[in-house]
Amino acid sequence: MSDARIDGYARALFEIARAEGTLDEVEDELFRFARSFESSDQLRNTLTDEQIPADKRQAVVESLLGGKATATTTQLIGMVVGSGRGRDLPAIIDKLVQRASSAKKLEVAEVRSAVSLSADQQARLKAALTNATGKELNLKVVVDPSVLGGLVATVGDTVIDGSVRTRLDNVKSRL
Amino acid sequence: MNLVNVLAADPAETHHWLLPETAEIIYGGIASVLVIGALVKFALPQFKKALAARTERIQKELDSSSNDLAQAQADASKIRQALGDIASEKARLLADAKAQADALLADGRARLTAEISDMEAKADADVAAAAARGSDELRTEIGRLATVATDRVIASVLDDATQQSLVENFIAKVGASR
Repeated sequence: MSDARIDGYARALFEIARAEGTLDEVEDELFRFARSFESSDQLRNTLTDEQIPADKRQAVVESLLGGKATATTTQLIGMVVGSGRGRDLPAIIDKLVQRASSAKKLEVAEVRSAVSLSADQQARLKAALTNATGKELNLKVVVDPSVLGGLVATVGDTVIDGSVRTRLDNVKSRL
Repeated sequence: MNLVNVLAADPAETHHWLLPETAEIIYGGIASVLVIGALVKFALPQFKKALAARTERIQKELDSSSNDLAQAQADASKIRQALGDIASEKARLLADAKAQADALLADGRARLTAEISDMEAKADADVAAAAARGSDELRTEIGRLATVATDRVIASVLDDATQQSLVENFIAKVGASR
């Protein structure tokens, strides 16, 4: 899909979520869904398979998110998947998150963690990253078991890697 | 009539029957002199001329034969020389052929030796490469298994307390980085 079309979808989702008054929550849920979508081959293959009818794909989304995410999030993802744009879902959601952060004059800080972080840890992490980068941040935490332990924070082009995975990879490459 | 009767002299005859008459002798003698003189005068030069021409022709034939003989001898000499040349050419060609054969043989041996050497080197390299490849594959497999094992060991070692410690260390380190 072209950047213009991705941008168009992102703008539409952004406006809907803002009109619903649930932008922060929807943005966060969409972001986490996009990361799950990227890490799960099965989910990605199912939601992008053109052989599966659109209503069946939307039903999969409903069964996955129903009761776990807001109705707006479920409907927005269902809409994108039903229109056959499932393959571009992460790009659309990332654009939406960027747009939402820009609207709040914030920079997106994506943090991957092997375990979920408490609200206190997220707040301290946000403060630490703000202090380190000098930017106001919109923190997005993704639980990613492949990290093994520790955290990986990405702010724009800056990557702060304190993961066990990377340390292991470094040791492995040295070996 | 028998022979005695024939030979018996006729008494009526004036001269012996065996001898010509005197006039006949005279006339015959003159005629003979005239004939002989005519022969000497006219026929003898022609005879001499014919004899000289014949002698000259014979001499020419002898000269020609001599020349032919000399020519034949010269040709024979040339042929003998040519035969000598042919023999030497044959010897030279045989020597050249032998030299070329020796050179080809030496070249073939050298090339064969080089090819064998190359093949041995290639075989050694292939064996070494196969060994290295096997070693690399083994190393890669060991690395992969070690990675899987390490991941599992670390995942089992990283309990919740350790995870929280890693998170706190990260926050502290990032917070102190500016």
